[in-house]
Amino acid sequence: MSTIWTNRVLVVLSLIALIVALGACAAPTPEKVTVKETVVVAGTPKIVEATKVVEKVVTATPAPAKAQDTFIFGAQGEPVCLDPAIITDGISGRIINQIFEGLVKFDKDTTNPVPALAEKWDVSADGKVWTFTLRKGVKFHDGTNFDATAVVKNFDYWQNTKNPVHAAQIKAGQSFEYFEAQFGGFDNDSIFAKIEAVDPTTVRFTLKEPQGPFLNNLAMFVFVFWSPTALEKAGVNSCKQPVGTGPYKFVEWKPNEQVTLTAFADYWDKANAPKMKNIIVRNIPNNSARLLALSAGEIHGMEGLEPRDVAAVKGNPKFKLILRPANTTGYVAFNYKVKEFQDPKVRQAFAQAINKAPIVDKFYGGTGQVTNQFQPPALWGYNKDLKDWAYDAAAAKKLLADAGFPNGISKITFDGKEVPLEFWYMPVSRPYYPNPKDIATAIAADWAKVGINVSLQTVDWATYLDKRKNGQLPLYMLGWTGDNGDPDNFVCYFFCMDAKDTPITREGFVADKELSDLLKKAAVTIKQSERAPMYQKAEQIIHDKVLRIFIANNQPPLAFLANVEGYIPNPTGTEFFNTVVVK
Amino acid sequence: MYRYIIRRFLTIIPVLFGVSILVFGFLRLIPGDPAQVMLGERATPENIARVREQLGLNKPIYEQYFIFIGNALRGDLGRSVLRGEPVTQEIVRRFPATIELALSAILVAILVGIPAGIISAVRRGSLLDAASMLLALTGVSMPIFWLGLMLILLFSVVLHWLPTGGRLDAGTDFVPITNLLLLDSLLKGDLGVFVQTLKHLALPALALGSIPMAIIARMTRSSMLEVLSQDYIRTAHAKGLHERAVIVHHALRNAWLPVITVVGLQVGRLLSGAILTETVFSWPGIGRWLIDAIYARDYPIVQGVTLFIAMVFVGVNLLVDVLYAWVDPRVKFD
Repeated sequence: MSTIWTNRVLVVLSLIALIVALGACAAPTPEKVTVKETVVVAGTPKIVEATKVVEKVVTATPAPAKAQDTFIFGAQGEPVCLDPAIITDGISGRIINQIFEGLVKFDKDTTNPVPALAEKWDVSADGKVWTFTLRKGVKFHDGTNFDATAVVKNFDYWQNTKNPVHAAQIKAGQSFEYFEAQFGGFDNDSIFAKIEAVDPTTVRFTLKEPQGPFLNNLAMFVFVFWSPTALEKAGVNSCKQPVGTGPYKFVEWKPNEQVTLTAFADYWDKANAPKMKNIIVRNIPNNSARLLALSAGEIHGMEGLEPRDVAAVKGNPKFKLILRPANTTGYVAFNYKVKEFQDPKVRQAFAQAINKAPIVDKFYGGTGQVTNQFQPPALWGYNKDLKDWAYDAAAAKKLLADAGFPNGISKITFDGKEVPLEFWYMPVSRPYYPNPKDIATAIAADWAKVGINVSLQTVDWATYLDKRKNGQLPLYMLGWTGDNGDPDNFVCYFFCMDAKDTPITREGFVADKELSDLLKKAAVTIKQSERAPMYQKAEQIIHDKVLRIFIANNQPPLAFLANVEGYIPNPTGTEFFNTVVVK
Repeated sequence: MYRYIIRRFLTIIPVLFGVSILVFGFLRLIPGDPAQVMLGERATPENIARVREQLGLNKPIYEQYFIFIGNALRGDLGRSVLRGEPVTQEIVRRFPATIELALSAILVAILVGIPAGIISAVRRGSLLDAASMLLALTGVSMPIFWLGLMLILLFSVVLHWLPTGGRLDAGTDFVPITNLLLLDSLLKGDLGVFVQTLKHLALPALALGSIPMAIIARMTRSSMLEVLSQDYIRTAHAKGLHERAVIVHHALRNAWLPVITVVGLQVGRLLSGAILTETVFSWPGIGRWLIDAIYARDYPIVQGVTLFIAMVFVGVNLLVDVLYAWVDPRVKFD
């Protein structure tokens, strides 16, 4: 290599370095302004707001230049697909909520279904015929009209395996998981006998059997409507070309970077027309980096705050913390093939020996709530009057002694064999158990105080779920995140037995006919006013028989800059950006 | 030399073949059914069966491998399980982002590492030597992850000089040509985007370049020290050559060889480092894509990207070997 060449390269490299340095110096400097501050306190599902004035530094880095017309949200990852029919993940759901609408939606921070594209509805006395009256003058983003035929065509896309787009999606490896789960399956397996467009503004569903959670199912983020014309055009590329009726329409998806939406000028709901011109959902996978981006003012809001960062965000006037009402419950489950656990006294001893409050206090970063039942408080089947077993080590010891274990329990008879008592915890963090190992250790320590000696066990996540499914875990931690905000989705999924009342293998062979029958009845009852007391009673039964021990609900924390207003958190995560303003 | 290059090319084939078997095998050694992992708490036996069918997991493992390798030879690395995108096409689209980052990082590493190494060697035992070697030691020991977050904290949150991540500011309207943004912005004559790209590159390049920078500095120093003690350097000094001439023309030229080896090896390290850097800095390259795929057990992406990275690594090594001959005429190829 000649030295002249080396020198030239060095000169070029130095020039590049200089440009980098200049670029860095050219960045604008921060300025000081006084802003109005709103602090949201959300210890309970209700949000209380207080206003105070503080001085803060507004950064001059990227976002604020367009801050007046763009709301930038930091997501934890990449959306899977923007076709509502084939997704199950929340990151895609967050974007879909802005683009699409369904017949009904969840009201504000509750799981109550209220009108969206349907103005009103009637249900027949037997609960089988639902007639929806649709709004007039609703347009899709491609300019076509929304009407009853569009609704029928969307349902056909979801449930008819011979529908050309449906068939093409399946062939391309996609699935319609939520339709299958909520509406019984496809073609003849589905709960629908008939779906008809009676006239342009009336659509009628005839069900084979009444379905209690029907409205809650329809309010889910996935049962929202495509422009049939656009869907046909998109075909298997539907993931990247979403066209709905929502307040924002799709502009661009830069993979691994961001999705951009812009306000839809012809949006039907003028009162709730989008307040910001553009929405950008940025993909920032690292939790700490996302919080730093918020601190730097590059994004206006974010999800996926680490439990350890919650307190810092709460205490900083630059930020606003919003807790999404809980939709998750973490529990400890018994396996009924364990002889000892068949005695309710033993189960009660296990329940009374756990001191839940300090555990929730210590391991949930201030976003957890101690619970005594399966449903989170935001659900309408929640039993407010239920009183939990008190934490009482002495009582627990006595119960064990009464049950024939005066020296405590270290060994169990599982499936006829005597084995050491193992307590299984999940190897991964889940919303309902942010730190499973720490929580398991704390529970085990509480149990040890009354003579219950467990050995802690775990295994990789897939095997864990597999063992649970096959009923191989004697005593284990797990939890649930709700789908449709219906109590059925929490309680019946776990405690409803099949037609022959077979003990449920997946749920540790739990078999309670009284409870199962009650839940099955509630599932086919239509009126919420009749269903709610049934679920409250079910929770009481589960509690009184100590069928399972419920530890905590968790409220996922969201962080915003202090100048962001109008974000309404919903337990199911169906949140709409049209009410959001960046001041 | 051409014969040498061809021969080296031929040895690459069994290497890549071996890599493909390892990648394929290791993935399947991970305990747990990938269908189960993908479906989580909601897995029903029917769903699991369907996903296994889709993934081809119900075929015997050797059959799965032959399908994979047969398609790979035709340039088809399969489709992502989660998003259905063709892996080959996505690699082509995402790799430029990683190349841009890796080249910037190696540039930072060379620009800082080599001068630091030379100065340390020439001024051996001085305060400057101690300072740069301390810096090098820190660079090697500091986790990229942590360093990245600290850089963001300082330059983005406190000083507001540089953005926290991404390749361009959110809201920038720019349609790339090659997806190498520095090049594209120049081709389109868009100076604004060029400067923006540089600003976005600065922190991740520094974080990713930190370890190679430290290693290059230390290697340059020891290599230079060895050369500086040679007789011909003493001769050069004795015949009255200027200090600078001795270092640049006599010492450096001979100290290059080990430095080039190290730089070549660092390219491989850069690719693995890029996985972390891309996550911290929300960089849309193949590293982050790989991480996401590993979490989701998206087999086709993991296999495809790993195989691709192995190819790049092998290719760079070949390039380094060829460079030897170019730099040092004493190296023979037989």
